[in-house]
Amino acid sequence: MVPAAQSDWIEWEAGLVQRARGGDVRAFERLYRDHIGGVYGLCLRMTRDPAAAEDCAQEAFFNAWRALERFETRSSFGTWLHRIAVNVVLNRRRKRAAQVELPPLMTDPDEESGGLPEEWTLDTPVEVHEIETAVGDLPEGARDALVLCGIYGYSHGEASQMLGIAEGTCKAQLHRARALLRAKLEPGSQSL
Amino acid sequence: MNDPAPPKVRRLSELPREVLPPHDGWPALEARLRESGRPQADAGAPSGGTTLPIRRRRPHLMHFAALAAVLAAVAVGVSIDRWMLSPAQPAPPVAASPHGGGGEGMAVAYVSDPRYVHAREELLRSLDARLAKLPPPTRKKVLQSLATIHQSMQQIQQALGREPGNALLQELLIDTYQNEMQVLSTVQEASGGAGET
Repeated sequence: MVPAAQSDWIEWEAGLVQRARGGDVRAFERLYRDHIGGVYGLCLRMTRDPAAAEDCAQEAFFNAWRALERFETRSSFGTWLHRIAVNVVLNRRRKRAAQVELPPLMTDPDEESGGLPEEWTLDTPVEVHEIETAVGDLPEGARDALVLCGIYGYSHGEASQMLGIAEGTCKAQLHRARALLRAKLEPGSQSL
Repeated sequence: MNDPAPPKVRRLSELPREVLPPHDGWPALEARLRESGRPQADAGAPSGGTTLPIRRRRPHLMHFAALAAVLAAVAVGVSIDRWMLSPAQPAPPVAASPHGGGGEGMAVAYVSDPRYVHAREELLRSLDARLAKLPPPTRKKVLQSLATIHQSMQQIQQALGREPGNALLQELLIDTYQNEMQVLSTVQEASGGAGET
């Protein structure tokens, strides 16, 4: 995001949203460029497929444009976008599930990248890549909860709302995800 | 007692939240947005923005309300422009604007259009007299807004001095001149129309 005071940021975004509501595509472009990284990152982690993540991110922004009138400027535009993006990903999964049998969720351990692009690795490449791969290997439900709560910092309540599940289910999925990750990343620490 | 998470699991929150997509999806999205038109008002429920009938015998109230709305809109617009000019912000995109293709001459052409120059001069000339007809709180807001607009214009022009080819700055400058014109025109209406000075 930007190194501006929070209030300035909210005011700035609210102004952009107002302009975009009036049909100002340039203002919406600014919103897009400010948020595409977060939205795409979220979609990528949920879909594990760069092409699908790009489609979902585009769809999320398109849906956001159409629904701008319903956005309340007091809340965070980023959180609102993430809700829409999660919804797009879940809808896509449902459609795919209705069409074909999904492949097994747990991937072959030899497939290291799991479809994630190499450029994900940033300042600590080996470790980041290892963690991202382990997250990608989690079962969908556990991964969704972990991505939203563990990486994007949403509360159990927020994440459960986004995912359309009970808060208790979200907590359980998160607990399961952490246990699986721990087993994968730190096998020696199981007894801790 | 909670068991301490191993370091790698704890580092989840340090993973980058933002991942840039391999392609710039904006051009395709923009095409879809333009095709779909303006954002839709909620088709199901009214958003509270319904137009209420206003009695004709109290036009000044309507004008003051309109003026307040203009000032609010201008305040938001100008705050955006000023924020964008803050040195801490990333530079606005230059090349991504198909409408901003006019380059550095676009804003200059707009503000030097003789019709615009004449209309603006007329409105500015009669501004003091028109302001005198407005209630003091409204007058104060108008003057504050105009001061902010003029400050914003100066800042944008300075920024354009540094980046003369920046299409987004050009658009912002034009927007700011339009904001000024909107305020001046609404003051004119609120104070009794063109023929009363």
